[in-house]
Amino acid sequence: MKNSILKDKEFSLLSKLILIGLWALLSGLIDKEVILPSIGSTIVSLIDIIRAPGFLGIILHSLLRSAIGFIISLLLAMVLGIISSYSRFVYQLMQPVLNFLSSIPTMAIIILALIWLDNEIVPMFVGFIMVFPILYETVLKGILNVDKNIMEMAKLYKVDRFTIIRDIYIPSIFINLSSVLTSAVNINLKMVIAGEVLSQPKLAIGSNLQMEKMYLNTPGVFAWIIIILVISKILGYIVEFIRKIAKEDRWK
Amino acid sequence: MILKYSVKNIVKSYGPLKVLDNINIDFIENKTTCILGPSGCGKTTLLNIIAGIIEKDSGEVLGIQNEDISFVFQEDRLIEWKNIKDNMAFVLKNKMNKSEMESTIDRFLNLVNLKEYKYYYPRNLSGGMRQRISILRAFAYPSKMLIMDEPFKSLDINNKKIVMEFFRELKTLENRTCIIVTHDIDEALDLGDRIIILSEKPSRVKKVIENTYMETGNEEDKRGLKLQVESALMRD
Repeated sequence: MKNSILKDKEFSLLSKLILIGLWALLSGLIDKEVILPSIGSTIVSLIDIIRAPGFLGIILHSLLRSAIGFIISLLLAMVLGIISSYSRFVYQLMQPVLNFLSSIPTMAIIILALIWLDNEIVPMFVGFIMVFPILYETVLKGILNVDKNIMEMAKLYKVDRFTIIRDIYIPSIFINLSSVLTSAVNINLKMVIAGEVLSQPKLAIGSNLQMEKMYLNTPGVFAWIIIILVISKILGYIVEFIRKIAKEDRWK
Repeated sequence: MILKYSVKNIVKSYGPLKVLDNINIDFIENKTTCILGPSGCGKTTLLNIIAGIIEKDSGEVLGIQNEDISFVFQEDRLIEWKNIKDNMAFVLKNKMNKSEMESTIDRFLNLVNLKEYKYYYPRNLSGGMRQRISILRAFAYPSKMLIMDEPFKSLDINNKKIVMEFFRELKTLENRTCIIVTHDIDEALDLGDRIIILSEKPSRVKKVIENTYMETGNEEDKRGLKLQVESALMRD
């Protein structure tokens, strides 16, 4: 087991080295910074971006938008998911909304959001549109997939409703949520940045990406992509840490 | 002989299919009654009627309805994200205060030398051990009656022997009125003080056998009783 984990890590490192090697090779062959910048110029841009005043503010504002949007999505998904599991009416009411959200192109919703909403709110709304259906379905599944045998056992032993909700339903919701949490957090971040590219709020990763693109500063675009990748990785670690604190690993 | 619990003239049909036809059984207090019958004859239906899970069409269930009942199922029905202590506490919470609950759990775990497993999670236990915990949970629950629905069915032969011995040990230490449903003749002879044999559908009580083997422990008795049970099961 230990050996196989070591091997997986070795393969992962090898794959990263191959990608970086390929990047170096292609950028050398193409030799046009605008199309594919070199590793060197990307690192220079990265250092410039990080050292520029306001860098931390930009990151924090994007993260804040991301966090607010995600928390709203999560709370709404939990409330509506729980209500839907009890009320057939609310469940049926939610179905067309979810179908609408999953079948309409995201860009169409972003365009409408740009018309209707303030440019600070658009990124959060875009994140919400993508993440809410995933979280809602997960919460609902967590409730509906509760083991019927366990429920019957609880009923026969006359366990009260509060204990059943606290000890069976809530852990079941969290077990289901934890399996999609990392991907949902990352999808949310990506969509918030996409929303920022279009709505151009003042301090935002997306706005800066768009600016680099306008100036045809491709090394700058690559540098921002690296920053997003690092943030995404850190968020993944944070989610993992929270899961460990909540002792989620016991629930598997 | 104390007859505190009984079922009288129980009839149950599912649509046009009559499953139970006028079932009468007396359950002797603090003794184990095994209900034995061919697969699909309606044993579990009868058990569910006794437990109040499903409604009967007619007849009476006497003395059981207002009692707290413990259950052991085919599956262990342990909650995966709770350790053994919390799995037991889950059913005890409503019945006693916290300190009483703690001491009850400790007492039962000590009784069968399973204290070391107190903080184990079900996923870390074998199938046999999980079912032992399920039986322990049933005994720890403050009830006078224990209903078991084919509790050894999903176990392999070795585990079955161990878990049956575990049940016998607990039954000696903590007396309960037990009803065990099974289709296994040896199981019934090894555990039941009284064996009720049901017929094919629509089920009737075909024969009631007092299991003298439980008292004598004589293998000869067991063989004789086994023949009686087998012939009763074959005759229709």
